[in-house]
Amino acid sequence: MNTPKNRNRRPEWLAGIFLTVALAAPAALQAEPVVKDGDLPMPLIERFENFGAKDGIPTHKVHAVYKTRDGHLWIGTWDGLCVREADGKFKRYGPEDGLSHKMVLCITEDPTTGDLWVATMRGLNKFSGGKFTQYTQTNSGLPNNVVYGCDVLDDMVVVATAAGAGILNLKTGQWRIFDHTNSLMHEPWCYAVKGAKDLIYWGIWGAGVLEYDFKKNTWKEYRDPDRDFHYDLVPDDGLINDITSWLSWEDGILWQNTYFGFTRYDGKKFKTWVQDQSPLLSNFTQIVWPHRRVAWIGMDKGVSVTDGEVWVNYEVGTDGEGIRTIHRPGAQPEKTVMNTALANRFVLGIYVDDEEAWFATSDGLSRGVYANPNPYKRLPGIAAAP
Amino acid sequence: MKTLFGLLLGLGLPAAATAAGYGYVEKPEPPPVEPDDTCVSVPSDAAVTAGVYPYYANTPEEMLPFRGVEPVYRYWTTRLPFLGPGRDYPPPTDLKSLKVGLLSPASYGPEGERGQRTRKGVLLAFEEANAARQAGELPFEIFEREDAPQWGSAANIAVEFKDHDVLAFLGTIDGDATHVALRVALKIETYMINTSDPDPTLTETQIPWLTRIWPDDRQQCFRLADLIVRKHGCTRIAIFRESSRPGRVGVMHFANYIRRLGHPPIQHLFFKPGDQNIGPQIAALQAAEPDAILFYGQPGDVGRFARQFRQAGIKAKFFGFDRLQEDAFRENAGDAAEGTIITYFWDPNRPDPKWVEFKEKYRKRWGETPDAYAAYGYDGAKLLIEAINHAGPNRFLIRDYLAGLDEWDGVTGHMVFDGRWDNIVPISIAELKGGQWHFQPAPPITKLDHQKLTQR
Repeated sequence: MNTPKNRNRRPEWLAGIFLTVALAAPAALQAEPVVKDGDLPMPLIERFENFGAKDGIPTHKVHAVYKTRDGHLWIGTWDGLCVREADGKFKRYGPEDGLSHKMVLCITEDPTTGDLWVATMRGLNKFSGGKFTQYTQTNSGLPNNVVYGCDVLDDMVVVATAAGAGILNLKTGQWRIFDHTNSLMHEPWCYAVKGAKDLIYWGIWGAGVLEYDFKKNTWKEYRDPDRDFHYDLVPDDGLINDITSWLSWEDGILWQNTYFGFTRYDGKKFKTWVQDQSPLLSNFTQIVWPHRRVAWIGMDKGVSVTDGEVWVNYEVGTDGEGIRTIHRPGAQPEKTVMNTALANRFVLGIYVDDEEAWFATSDGLSRGVYANPNPYKRLPGIAAAP
Repeated sequence: MKTLFGLLLGLGLPAAATAAGYGYVEKPEPPPVEPDDTCVSVPSDAAVTAGVYPYYANTPEEMLPFRGVEPVYRYWTTRLPFLGPGRDYPPPTDLKSLKVGLLSPASYGPEGERGQRTRKGVLLAFEEANAARQAGELPFEIFEREDAPQWGSAANIAVEFKDHDVLAFLGTIDGDATHVALRVALKIETYMINTSDPDPTLTETQIPWLTRIWPDDRQQCFRLADLIVRKHGCTRIAIFRESSRPGRVGVMHFANYIRRLGHPPIQHLFFKPGDQNIGPQIAALQAAEPDAILFYGQPGDVGRFARQFRQAGIKAKFFGFDRLQEDAFRENAGDAAEGTIITYFWDPNRPDPKWVEFKEKYRKRWGETPDAYAAYGYDGAKLLIEAINHAGPNRFLIRDYLAGLDEWDGVTGHMVFDGRWDNIVPISIAELKGGQWHFQPAPPITKLDHQKLTQR
């Protein structure tokens, strides 16, 4: 759920000072300048705060990060589910606490109950009232134990597993399973899922994106028109590739990750990006978190942030420095060397709201601190969050 | 402005703003390449050769899709690097063995016997390796699991491999199982060597944690297309294949290749494994009057159908994939098998010393003659052993070693790996004459451009 929160709003005069100073700064290359983000459709990150073993994170690899509505930060790691406590340290939950497997791949929250749903390499878990309830393929209707993605939509928990898509009806406890026998899937290899009002989108390995209208019980397929993995023949003609590694949806826009590039679909038109021919840092895109119609894309070379026109990239330099590059159409890229950087460039999970951005990486967790503490407050024309 | 321009160049940033607005340096024109019309040629399309590795698994240019049109983007002309951390992780201190996973097909399923032959090849290699370990060296330990028929079983097994801290794993024949295991391999960052999955799409997932040493159905498809259309001059080609995912992906490139050669399939008919009554398909083929039929399926099924086709008076020449070399095809087809031409990897009777020595060792250990499954299983295990010996018990360094290989020599012959980490060694053919398979030498191996490889 991408519900924005505006806790701890800073005074607007402070934003004005930021803007004034930013406009006076040189544009192209600066060492840790005052940033200029007033004309950007997304917040700029001015510094990263990194978290690892010293903070109680039990392992290098962090797969997922999620902030619940009560403000708690949860991370899914290679070795357990963790929550950040008041002292800033992370408390770990593992199989010994009832979690079905130590490798956590995805976390989401039921906005109605506050229950946490946790996808792991061996089963789905509900964390409620301090207790885990496990859902596996042998004790429930979960299609397969390897659960890559989960989401909550109305009274449904929807999952993407290695061998099928599933819907758990929270009222009845009944499961529905979809695979190649009762949907448009060629193979039931589901790697991402996102609820979208009356629709559910599943990212399928080799079959692009499937749209399921659960009220009408109808399916629609989105594919790469090339139907070949060795090339992208024409840009913007559909999905960039049929192998979907992740997807998300927000405010009418579907974003697709692949290891071949990135796609945006607004319901009418597709837009595709590949590295070297666009500001997209890498074709190997692993995660997207949309917020206010801006996609925060995690990949093997860092993070790209875009509304489809303007791009801001965050990379890690060879000496560990942060590199931020702003790409505006028709303008030279503006590159800034930052004193801080992502914990690692291999970004696996992202959470973004109005206050901050969090990045789960292969070597720790990072918090992106915005240059403007309330970036959306003074940007007229930005759509209100759904 | 000049200063700014120079500064940007110095930082490695793109210099020229294009109409799109982001300013990227145009790629230089690739050098012209001499045309070559042999089946395993490097394509003559200059743009295709701009990459480090052969494009489209070295498919001949006239069989490439959209030839003459430059796509907006080509993949696998170079290899995707793995940019994550892990190479400097300290080695585990409590290891008692070097664990390696082996994912085999269910022994009771349609691929069971082939899987057992693969397993024997793998076991032989590890037995040899353990016998050669020096004092103080940890032994190898194989952690074995058999796949189950339901989809997704292999994903659960791959997780189990991680739970047991395998350093890498081998497997398997079934394309479905390998696909789902591969996706898990990316998550658990554990390398997979595939020794026998022919699915062309397996390596096209852009997951840098897989090497496949088994030449896939795409390479067999363009060899067959070349053979049927250009060498034998067939123009009315029918495809008769198993109604299954392996059948679908197995022939898909063949159908495209012969279409691009000007002779699309006149029939594309299916059968179910075990079918006995194929009257409707026979009637359709009789009406279509093909001059060539390409089979894809289990050898026993295909043998039975070949006999029925001949009994029905169908005179088309029969072609097929490597599996028809198995005895079940000849046994069920009887005389109808005569003249069938198949693709195969190499001549199993060749006098190559490495191959002869392996055959002898395998016979001595298992009391039977090795086939391609056993031999590629052995080679896959040997390759993995080599990687672990070289890299030590670090999954990331093992990955780097394997993903960095361009060529390798095994008992199956010389291997050449492309940008997808796929062995694209040319495919041989065999013809059944007088009840015996007569193997022809494979076309010459296309050499990788070592100058380009060095410049990576």
